[in-house]
Amino acid sequence: MSGPFARRARRALRDQQLHVALDRTTAQLGLRRATGLASLEQADTVRDRARAAKMALLHSLADSLRAFEARLVENGARVHWAETTADANRIIVEIAAKAGVRRVAKSKSMASEETHLNGALERAGITVVETDLGEYIVQLAGDRPSHIIMPIVHMTREQVGRVMERRLAVPYSDDTQTLARYARTRLREEFLQADMGLTGANFGVVENGTICLVTNEGNGRMVTTLPRVHVVLMGIEKLVPTMADLDRFLKLLSRSATGQKLTAYTTLVRGPRRAGDECGADEMHVVLLDNGRSKILAGETAEILGCIRCGACLNACPVYRAVGGHAYGDVYPGPVGSIVTPGIRGLAPFAELPSASSLCGACREVCPVRLDIPRMLLALRHEAVEHTRQPAALRLGLKIFGRVASRPRLYRVGAALMRAMLRSRARNGWIRRAPGLAKQWTRFRDLKAPAAVTFETAWRQRSAAAKRP
Amino acid sequence: MSGARDAMLGRIERAVRTGRIPSAAHDAAGAGDGDEEVGRAAPSTAAMRERFVVEARALGVETYVEPTGTAVCDRLRTLIAGLRVLTWDPDLLPYGCGAIVKGALAGSAPRTEQARAEAGVTACHGAIAETGSLALIAGPGCSHTVSLLPPFHVALVRPEDFHERMGDFFTARADALAGSSNCTFVTGPSRTADIELSLTIGVHGPGRMAIVIGP
Repeated sequence: MSGPFARRARRALRDQQLHVALDRTTAQLGLRRATGLASLEQADTVRDRARAAKMALLHSLADSLRAFEARLVENGARVHWAETTADANRIIVEIAAKAGVRRVAKSKSMASEETHLNGALERAGITVVETDLGEYIVQLAGDRPSHIIMPIVHMTREQVGRVMERRLAVPYSDDTQTLARYARTRLREEFLQADMGLTGANFGVVENGTICLVTNEGNGRMVTTLPRVHVVLMGIEKLVPTMADLDRFLKLLSRSATGQKLTAYTTLVRGPRRAGDECGADEMHVVLLDNGRSKILAGETAEILGCIRCGACLNACPVYRAVGGHAYGDVYPGPVGSIVTPGIRGLAPFAELPSASSLCGACREVCPVRLDIPRMLLALRHEAVEHTRQPAALRLGLKIFGRVASRPRLYRVGAALMRAMLRSRARNGWIRRAPGLAKQWTRFRDLKAPAAVTFETAWRQRSAAAKRP
Repeated sequence: MSGARDAMLGRIERAVRTGRIPSAAHDAAGAGDGDEEVGRAAPSTAAMRERFVVEARALGVETYVEPTGTAVCDRLRTLIAGLRVLTWDPDLLPYGCGAIVKGALAGSAPRTEQARAEAGVTACHGAIAETGSLALIAGPGCSHTVSLLPPFHVALVRPEDFHERMGDFFTARADALAGSSNCTFVTGPSRTADIELSLTIGVHGPGRMAIVIGP
């Protein structure tokens, strides 16, 4: 591998500070997840049912979206359909312009990262502020998030302190309580002044048009309670059929993400404020984003649309734990990102990602909805090989191997030569550097030396021995 | 706009014909009734209260179980003594606690004024034993700002507010949920672990929470 992923991964592997941060966080989150799930009664049944609900929903996605739209409209919300990221941004800028919005307070939304909404709003002269603490620091630092639920997992508290000192003109501190207080004070003003709250959706409930948002800090509550306009930007796959399903997904999401039984604030929004209410938005808009999701739905990796973005597969993945989120080169990192990113951005520029996995299956183990991530990674690898031209040396090598392997005598001679050559390079049964075609392969791995006796020889000797009376 | 809608729906309908979506046979009986819990006995109010208190305390919530309405009022008075109070409509507070906060700031006051309050006093629409959560449903006199803007939230809970699980609450209060634009479950104080995974309390919402449970 020598594409952009490999380059970024090599750089990340040399970053000691990143390793310390990643080791600490991913191991801790993995542990919390295990404890959290152990506290769930009949966890396996809940997971099976959640998975069944998501898969059933995907099978009937068009009808579910129609029903969801109808319920949203009944609740008084306006529904918009966005085929592309550009469409989504245009729709949201138009909503903002029509409502005279000057300031937008944003709760965490992966979909808006996908569309680069902040840039689009700023170009339209609208101020936009991230209000999730991690996302806020990312915004202040001009950085990018590196984990689905822990956006600044790659930063130390000292780095955060320096960013705040520089950007907010506050005294330097590396005390997390102080840093959080800085953010609270600054963002409190933003919440009170914002004309529009922008959120994603953790879930959309088909049966009654509920938008469910979870946040630990309370920013999700702020932006749905205070501003006069609320815009939800959500992928079309974020639906769940019923409130009973929502209950199951909430049980799984917080436990899988942080080990909590329930996130501190779980907000269920059903349209704009009702008559007599003293809080809530006057107008509510829901933007349903496709951006390649219908393409994913049509192929081998459709199952990935059942992902609830808990981040458990990131914490479990040995590759993510070694290289961090930025190496994946787009919004969604880790095992899930290796499937989603090629799906929404096209396989060609991200063809390396499906190979950034040892296929150990840890991701499938921890996935609350039991997505078969290794299978999908393999399917994408297959597709990458089919559709991208492999190196000439590899093609030639495989052609020669094909010729040799289909001629038994030639194969035996070739295998004997190869075995002798490899065994001559082995130290203690392992080959650290192989020549020729295998050179690249052994850059990242050791090759086990071939056995002294081939299987074929051993088999012949065994059969001969068995025939003797 | 309908162009985009039709195009998306059309693409989705075609996609499911070719896409590899595992056929997880959805147990028809399971849709909507949460039946992995069928057969469990409904716990007593005392059992639910006990579980609720354990869970809420684990989250760092101060919890008080008071034997009489007068004791609830006394507790509330002590908790908010000397603090600038923002409150739900006093008439909506149980145990006659409304009298204690009469004349305090209301959810209808200007936001900047509400933001200066030091304590928010609410009742609740449900208390979930399994998770130690309060359910708060927005409505006239029940502004979410009260439980959100002040650094300290005091909530009053009655025995009839208890539900074992969130699913039970969804079923029991379906009408109330349908009648409101916002229901929020509050599970402990506002928190973050975004910086080095170190727990920090009181980011945007209240950092201190007290729950007073009456008879």
